[in-house]
Amino acid sequence: MKHHTLSRTADRLYWLGRYLERAESTARMINSHTNLIIDLPARLPHGWQPLLDMTDSHPSFSSRNQPPSERNVVRHLTTNRDNPGSLANSLDFARENARTVRENMPRVSFEYINDLYLYARTGLSGALSRSRRNTVLEGVLTRVQQIDGFLSRSMLHNDAWSFLRLGQFIERGDMTTRIIGVAAATPLAGKGPAEPYQQLQWRSVLRSLHAMQSYRVSVQEPVSQPLALDFLLKNPDLPRSLAYSLDSIRNSLRRLPRNEQPLRACNRARRNLKQADVGSLEGAELLSFIDMCQLQLAELHDFMGRTYFHPRLRVPKAGPRGRDGPHQGIAKC
Amino acid sequence: MPIVWKHYNADGLWDELITSSGRARPGAGSLCRNLARLSDEELMARKEAAELAIRSMGITFTVYGGEDSGSIDREWPFDIIPRLIRKREWDHIRRGLIQRVTALNRFIDDVYHDQKSLDDGVVPRELVEKSKDFRPECVGVSPPHNVWAHICGSDLVRDADGTLYVLEDNLRVPSGVAYMLENREVMKRVFPELFEAYLIHPVDDYPDQLARTLSSLSSRRRPEIVVLTPGVYNSAYFEHAYLAQSMAAELVQGSDLIVGNDDRVYMRTIEGLIQVDVIYRRIDDLFLDPEVFRSDSMLGVPGLMRAWRAGNVALANAPGCGVADDKVIYTYVPEIIRYFMGEDPILPNVPSYRCVDKESRDLVLDRLDEMVVKPANESGGYGMLIGPKASRAERNRFARQIRANPRNYIAQPMLNLSTAPTLIEQHAEPRHLDLRPFILSGAENYVTMGGLTRVAMRKGSIVVNSSQGGGSKDTWVVDLE
Repeated sequence: MKHHTLSRTADRLYWLGRYLERAESTARMINSHTNLIIDLPARLPHGWQPLLDMTDSHPSFSSRNQPPSERNVVRHLTTNRDNPGSLANSLDFARENARTVRENMPRVSFEYINDLYLYARTGLSGALSRSRRNTVLEGVLTRVQQIDGFLSRSMLHNDAWSFLRLGQFIERGDMTTRIIGVAAATPLAGKGPAEPYQQLQWRSVLRSLHAMQSYRVSVQEPVSQPLALDFLLKNPDLPRSLAYSLDSIRNSLRRLPRNEQPLRACNRARRNLKQADVGSLEGAELLSFIDMCQLQLAELHDFMGRTYFHPRLRVPKAGPRGRDGPHQGIAKC
Repeated sequence: MPIVWKHYNADGLWDELITSSGRARPGAGSLCRNLARLSDEELMARKEAAELAIRSMGITFTVYGGEDSGSIDREWPFDIIPRLIRKREWDHIRRGLIQRVTALNRFIDDVYHDQKSLDDGVVPRELVEKSKDFRPECVGVSPPHNVWAHICGSDLVRDADGTLYVLEDNLRVPSGVAYMLENREVMKRVFPELFEAYLIHPVDDYPDQLARTLSSLSSRRRPEIVVLTPGVYNSAYFEHAYLAQSMAAELVQGSDLIVGNDDRVYMRTIEGLIQVDVIYRRIDDLFLDPEVFRSDSMLGVPGLMRAWRAGNVALANAPGCGVADDKVIYTYVPEIIRYFMGEDPILPNVPSYRCVDKESRDLVLDRLDEMVVKPANESGGYGMLIGPKASRAERNRFARQIRANPRNYIAQPMLNLSTAPTLIEQHAEPRHLDLRPFILSGAENYVTMGGLTRVAMRKGSIVVNSSQGGGSKDTWVVDLE
């Protein structure tokens, strides 16, 4: 008996992958942004606003009519239930999705996801204080990685696994491009020479993508915007680069049935990236390139839905009856 | 202070572990000595380890908390002192259960076909046809092997003199088997050394046996089996997911299935539609198919009954099998066994009074303070009156209900349910319990080794339902011979 993946299950696994990835990115972004703020001289008008931009949490934040202070922004991104993208909500949703598809994963993996959820329930408010923030958020990161590591080592690499990975990498590609977009849209500029701060900013971007050390090893030059852009978007060996995400998406799609449309969209995005000279992009050009990448990821997401999660199906018409009749040409494995 | 068995006092009731003279029952000695050796700290540490295991394994059940709070996930309540049953006694019980379930299946099949047993007056015809679980839609349908109740979870209780009775036949969608399996897992994690002294029969072959039973309902060699759940908010969702996973079957909701005009059932998958052969359904009859039963059901699948009646899909349990799970019909089971099996029942029924008979009714109303009164079609311990513990006002209310609708009630003398030592703070105290074994019927029969032991955690209480503060224990069938 072949195990079939239900459309609903595929949908939930995909979102589980996305939410886990989102939780990890959010935790990492808050940590690296805190780090950046500590490095910056107080006179630079660079506050906590960009964190809201990177996580796309403006609407829910502004509706509360509050200043973008450190405490307000961090609370909004960690514990606030009204922010659909907060860590607390991402982990709730991740668990809820896992709960409804737990029979599709190794049994222990739900224990780990549940453990992360319980950790967040009790511990996340600790992230509001700057002194405990790093420890608390590292706690989220290590737990997400534990889940990720456990799944990749012990889960059958079947269709269910492919959907988890697709969610993970579509989310990751989206986050990477968004972080770059925010950095490009809000360059640090002080009264003196902006140069050292620009470096600082791109170092922070690299850190928030866990890519600082890899950059040193792989690029072997001081951090600059063109080199960082090229590295973060196009390096196929960096797990958080856009190229790596698209390659992973392609590999997962290849294992799935009926993959023509999404695979075509993925290949198109990968080709565009390959042909672009991203290091030379600046200002409005850079922003429109990032926009295009994001649109392509959104298109991929739509194809996933149309192909696998909510497809239009042809329902069989009346035919021969009886327990052993023929099968109307429908797959029966 | 550690557990001191000679201070343990079961108050003259039957205790599953300790005799009335304070000694361990045959076979329980090693367990009792092991437990008595543990200090308070060690006992509490084991208890906490069990709670931690349950939390981290995500073993939960869902309770409906009322309109304001919706449903809440609670961790499964578990007591770390196991309950022991000797293999020899179990073999007897096992035979009794198979006899009983076989007879009930023949009865159901008869009800929906020739109704010989009704003609012969084994069970009053009116009782069956007026039962709210009798489904005219099932008349004339012949499920594979003529079996209707494929999964049965009988409740067994022991009285003060040690007699084991069948309290209820749960034939509709009995739950609890996943907790039986998980209890063993938790026990092995927290008390591995206790297992060394015993030959304990494993319980973990249940999922394979269930898969085998379900497969036998299809003529295909490798049938497509799914578990149909009402969804995550159902109290037994944990179990639905658990069983689907352990059988490698798909866990589906109504919306995942569709019945074509060819009267076949398909599931929506990433490959397109795939035909389904066997549905282990965990939703009630009336929600199965909005075309036939409740038209407002969002849980079911329109057309499912069509497909079942056409023989294109097997439903386990079959619709309509609840007719034999009515608490009034229950009182006729001994006659049903004699009629269909030509044998005396191996396991007795709890003596029961049918309120529909005037004589019995008068007796019940007269002695309401000694009786347990049960409505015919409720489960989960809801809607019951426990006479000796009820207030006068509650008894009066029940008396009125019985007079208004006598068909709907039976009464049983209050049994002195057996107890087993249960850890309450650091002490072992007697708590009442029951046992729910699971019986599978398809091409063959299978009975779990033991079953799910449920404990009433409150002192003196006999309500073991987890929705009402009940706990559970690992159940060991041990070979002493």
